[in-house]
Amino acid sequence: MSSKLPTFLGLHRLTAQIAPIVVVCALVFALPLLLNNDFLLNKVARYLVLGILTVSLALSWGYGGILNLGQAMSFGLGSYAMAMALKLKTIPVHTGSGGLPDFMVWNNVERLPWFWVPFKSLTFALVAGIAVPALVAAALGWFVFRSRVTGVYVAIITLATMVVLNLVIIDQQSYTGGFNGITDLAQLEIFGFAFDAYGRATYYLVASCVALSLVVAFAFTKSKAGLIVQAIRDHESRVRYFGYDVAAYQIFVFALSAAIAGLAGMLYTIVMEFASPTFLGVPLSLSVVVWCAVGGRQSLVGAFLGAVLVAGMQGALSETAAFLETWTLVMGALFVLVVLFLPKGLAGLMHTLWQWLTRRRQPASAMVQSLEQTEGRI
Amino acid sequence: MDQFIEQIVTGLSIGSILLLVALGLSIIYGAMGIINLAHGEFVMLGAYAAWLFQTKFGLSLLESLVPIFLVVALFGWVIERYVLSLLNNRPLDTILATWGVGIMLQQAVRLAVGSELRYVQLPPALSDSMEVLGVPVSSYRVFLFFVALALFALTWLLMNRTTIGMKLRAIIQDRSVAASFGINARRVYALTFAYGAGLAGLAGALVSPLKSVSPEMGTGYVVDAFMVVVLGGVQSLAGTVASAFILGELSGAIAFLQNDTVAKAIVLLAIVVLIRFRPQGLFTARVRA
Repeated sequence: MSSKLPTFLGLHRLTAQIAPIVVVCALVFALPLLLNNDFLLNKVARYLVLGILTVSLALSWGYGGILNLGQAMSFGLGSYAMAMALKLKTIPVHTGSGGLPDFMVWNNVERLPWFWVPFKSLTFALVAGIAVPALVAAALGWFVFRSRVTGVYVAIITLATMVVLNLVIIDQQSYTGGFNGITDLAQLEIFGFAFDAYGRATYYLVASCVALSLVVAFAFTKSKAGLIVQAIRDHESRVRYFGYDVAAYQIFVFALSAAIAGLAGMLYTIVMEFASPTFLGVPLSLSVVVWCAVGGRQSLVGAFLGAVLVAGMQGALSETAAFLETWTLVMGALFVLVVLFLPKGLAGLMHTLWQWLTRRRQPASAMVQSLEQTEGRI
Repeated sequence: MDQFIEQIVTGLSIGSILLLVALGLSIIYGAMGIINLAHGEFVMLGAYAAWLFQTKFGLSLLESLVPIFLVVALFGWVIERYVLSLLNNRPLDTILATWGVGIMLQQAVRLAVGSELRYVQLPPALSDSMEVLGVPVSSYRVFLFFVALALFALTWLLMNRTTIGMKLRAIIQDRSVAASFGINARRVYALTFAYGAGLAGLAGALVSPLKSVSPEMGTGYVVDAFMVVVLGGVQSLAGTVASAFILGELSGAIAFLQNDTVAKAIVLLAIVVLIRFRPQGLFTARVRA
């Protein structure tokens, strides 16, 4: 094989992989031109945020082989970080400057708890919304991956950690708003510019973050570290024998995934205008897994579209009286069928279709395919 | 001193409920490598069956235990036969499939009987309290303790002293060799899963008089049960028993000092730290490699 051909094939494949990302981002940005309804736009923004969350799961699950059943924990941490900062902005209005958030007053809290104090700075909150989930994930990852815990145990440990955090937040009502969450927030204001949840600016903020997270995730999967992570997914022990620190790479992808989920959580608070313990609850966390599986866990765009489509459908159908009750049943069935018959999700189905179509036209693509597979295996 | 004994007894009571719920999960995971996220829903089905038998047919809880076991086992058999058996060699996907099945069961129950809370009556013979080591305890909790131990003993006998148990152990050791000796792995797996599901149903029926019955009740149990299995080490029934009672005593003791939530958080953190240093669990069955 000449040395130029693989590079050419690599480039060809790279273009084919970037194209869907560009198309999806273009559609996301173009939507407000077609949709002249702020209420609907807010709803779409909500689904886009869930799409970002699902991309973050695809990164750790599809590419890293780490099934995180507690992905909503990172999402919730980001959401609360943003909500705490926005809540503190309302204090002069509600209880006078130097006062406390309203729910603390109702619960007879005397002083602002220490972990609330830094959130008076919006910059701190913005950093914390991403850094806290990443650090928590890294710490949990250190425990889990350093001791070579794999597969199902990781899933259970992540799920249980999230459940405990959820219980603690609900239990510590006087510091966290408990079951009600943190409501009645100020609008996010950056350099004097306010982001209204129903405004265009907020939609474009979300859209930019969609593009950002897709690009960051894609760049990671193409980086050397990303390739090693995928190799670990396929043959953990082989990569270990090559002398790589397997746990370090796993911890990294786990933390990166949590950081993106944290970003999504912050956006969700801005779009929904509150933070709630349900944001780090079991139902949301498992829904993310469904979206990811339906869209295709080994495709970033697939996972994103899976979330937007299924969550959007869910939203639409649950507002229709006929499906209000049965929708969950339908979703459960859909999910079982996807797991059984489409292990690579809709993205996998599209890929198979595309292969089938192109193979008819040009037999040479079969060679490209086999080269790609060899390369993919490293 | 009295308080100390009371603590021990409360811990035993929590532990026996944990054991009841975790036993079926442990068998299914140990034998088939399946993380059954629908386990909590089997528990819930058992509790609803108890309510149904009590209110519609006028059977007392004790009389309906055998039918409840059979009904929930049948659910398990169908699910193994038509969903899980299609997922050979894809252990992670069984998590997803069983979860999908779980939400379907939850919603089906919600559609069939509504989502309001239901209550199951204590068996009349066990509704008073008795003294254990000088501490008053409800008779029903003492009964649960012995039922949990009895079910554990029964399961151990099934695994170690019956032909079906021997076949199952042969499949666990080496499925293809077992198959070449004429063991029908498919049927043994279906029976194992059905038995595990039936145990979960019994657990649900037995705890139903202590708590209200709702479609969501299973979710809480399944996480606790996994903690027991993870702590005990898989493929070790003895480990499951020991860790159920250790976790029971631990939660009882911490809940006494703090509250239930803090107890749960501390127990979980302890387990995560333990896994860092003993990933195989506290008790490991010796496996010949």
